[in-house]
Amino acid sequence: MNENLTYGLVVAGVGGQGAVTIAQLILGAAWMDGYHVLQSEVHGMSQRGGEVSAHIVFSKDPVMSPTIEQGDADFLLGLEPLETLRHLIYLKKDAHFITSITTIENMENYPTSENILSLLKSIDGVKMIDSDQIAKEIHFSHGANMTLLGYASNYLPVNGEVWDKVIRERFASKGEKIVDKNLLAFNTGKKLINNENFVYQ
Amino acid sequence: MKTSKLLLGDEALALAACDAGVKAFYGYPGTPSTEIFEAGEKYIKFLNDGRVAEWAANEKVAYEFALGTSYTGYRSVVTMKHVGLNVAFDAFINSAITGIQGGLIVAVADDPGMHSSQNEQDTRYLADFANLPLLEPSTPQEVYDFTVKAFALSEKLKLPVVVRLVTRLAHSRGEVSVLKTSLKPESIGIPPISEKFSWVLVPSIARVRYKELRRKMPSLYEEAKKFNSLQSFPSAKVGVITSGMGSAYFYQYKKNNNISDEKYNHLNVKAYPLDMDLLHTLVKISDTIYVFEENYPYLEDMLIPYCNSKCVVRGRRDQTVPVDGELNISLIRQALENRQLDGKVDENLFTKISSLIEIRPPKLCEGCGHRDTYQAITTALKNIGIDDPRIFGDIGCYSLGVQPPYFGIHTLVDMGASLSMAFGAALAGMTPSIGIIGDSTFFHSGMPTLLSAAKLKLNINFIIMDNAIVGMTGQQAPVASDVAPLIAKAAGFRDEQIHLFTPLPQKTEENVKQLEQIFQRDEPSLIIFKRKCIIAMQRKLYPLEKKDALHE
Repeated sequence: MNENLTYGLVVAGVGGQGAVTIAQLILGAAWMDGYHVLQSEVHGMSQRGGEVSAHIVFSKDPVMSPTIEQGDADFLLGLEPLETLRHLIYLKKDAHFITSITTIENMENYPTSENILSLLKSIDGVKMIDSDQIAKEIHFSHGANMTLLGYASNYLPVNGEVWDKVIRERFASKGEKIVDKNLLAFNTGKKLINNENFVYQ
Repeated sequence: MKTSKLLLGDEALALAACDAGVKAFYGYPGTPSTEIFEAGEKYIKFLNDGRVAEWAANEKVAYEFALGTSYTGYRSVVTMKHVGLNVAFDAFINSAITGIQGGLIVAVADDPGMHSSQNEQDTRYLADFANLPLLEPSTPQEVYDFTVKAFALSEKLKLPVVVRLVTRLAHSRGEVSVLKTSLKPESIGIPPISEKFSWVLVPSIARVRYKELRRKMPSLYEEAKKFNSLQSFPSAKVGVITSGMGSAYFYQYKKNNNISDEKYNHLNVKAYPLDMDLLHTLVKISDTIYVFEENYPYLEDMLIPYCNSKCVVRGRRDQTVPVDGELNISLIRQALENRQLDGKVDENLFTKISSLIEIRPPKLCEGCGHRDTYQAITTALKNIGIDDPRIFGDIGCYSLGVQPPYFGIHTLVDMGASLSMAFGAALAGMTPSIGIIGDSTFFHSGMPTLLSAAKLKLNINFIIMDNAIVGMTGQQAPVASDVAPLIAKAAGFRDEQIHLFTPLPQKTEENVKQLEQIFQRDEPSLIIFKRKCIIAMQRKLYPLEKKDALHE
């Protein structure tokens, strides 16, 4: 990342999935790494199972806009495939994005997951991750998002050492066991960069 | 070690108020303003030095709580969403005429784009109409700084000061440098003997007080001027006026694209009323002026008569920016460059995505009692031969009952309108007439209609969906619980006109049968569907001592 430019990241998911938590972790990590940061969150009605997204903007210079221009985001983290597709419009031409492959079909006219996944597969820069399966294998059913975040951390211009501290601080109030599980999920996701079994391109 | 914190715009306002020695937070919950009060409540608990936070039954009452605290010489904040200010408007406009004693901040959060509102009205007009100063920050840091300044300004002008947020600021989390020391709440005393009767707005005094308000106007312009700035460059022929989030987006647009500041003469508005000198200067040096503001064309309409034939105004009026909806960087680029960025989604991919994407509306939670209530009502109506029911609805989680499979409400206008519209419809002959309202909305503005209804001999049905919590805005405690039947009785309802139901799947059949009877009676009925909010139960928000048989 060019020193004086602005880095924009979108987190997208479904209400109740934890998109805002993931966004706050990224925000905290970038801030701890010395960036100026700003994030737009969604509260209120949309949280009842509707689409939820957060924009995170950081830069070495002061940041004033909490939202990213369409076509200007550097990265997209999609917690649900249809929401990944919905928010692709924000990405730069050459940007990478990662997406979970587990659909949440809480609406009547949900398209078939085959159609969504095959379209996603055809787009440049995609990394599709079976994060639910990974969460199962590490015996942490709520760990899918943290796995995705761990994988995403390989792409973000944020010093890898800050994550541990940010995750510990965030989950400290929930006890050591929850902290450790989240760290395990994060680190498992991070290492996927060397293990293509769960990554479909 | 950083001296700054990561805060939402809402949280920054609350913390600034605490640091400036606020005594009290009052309000009524409403997205996107709710977190101001909630953060204030949290800080107050932590500070533990005699401050208070109190939700009111509605915004007007909350406003008057704040005015009363101000009378005692203490600083206070009253919070509400934009449409809440309509409810508080009587108190708001008259408090400009009484003036204030201890500093009073009216924190109003507008919702451009209607993320969670029924309109996108712009609070700047309401402050203007009331002759009150308004500050419009652009970042969480400015929210903090302006709030601290607003208390001093309020006490200097002896007027309430409005701090206007919008959704994108209220719910933006960013770094905020905060004061190292926090003031303790201290009273400047009640109004002195010389002002003993100036708060009594009988006509003879009100005329004097109103003249006094008008006399203050030059000071308001002077004070606002200190916040506003005009940057001009001899080479620039294009002017830009920004305010609030418009300023934030315009800054970022220039930053992200390495555009020199010198390309534009820039009037950055952060406080109102706006001094005309700045507009006058900008018009003199610019051929074209763009206006980026959130979200009505307020500044633009002030500018147009000034421009006359001397320059061209580009903004929402000429559709350079759409007249409705939120501003963003894309719209600014479109206005200034007439183009969009070429992103990953080209025309071909856009077509493919569009063919798959469907909207994912929010919905009533799985297991929510409101689902069973709507199921029972719509089934009962069908069973008595009403295939196309029209039900007056209201504002809360239960508004989501408009969606399939229930299609359970057919109006949503403002807080409390369900019951009063049902009343008006019943008087005009609709039978049965049905209004559906939540418990908190009932206390907010539904009660007066209940008082009027007892004497009617008409088939009117007031349905309260009672979960003993303000569900939609994050499960705040309501001002009261379990009092609707008592009020109804006091107003003249007989026991047989008051019905309590439990909305559970296994009770639906029984509830339907009873509703069929009730909906065919030519007398008013109060029907209460009572069950706890499942989210609040998961979050363990119901105090154990409040447990009773009806809230299982």
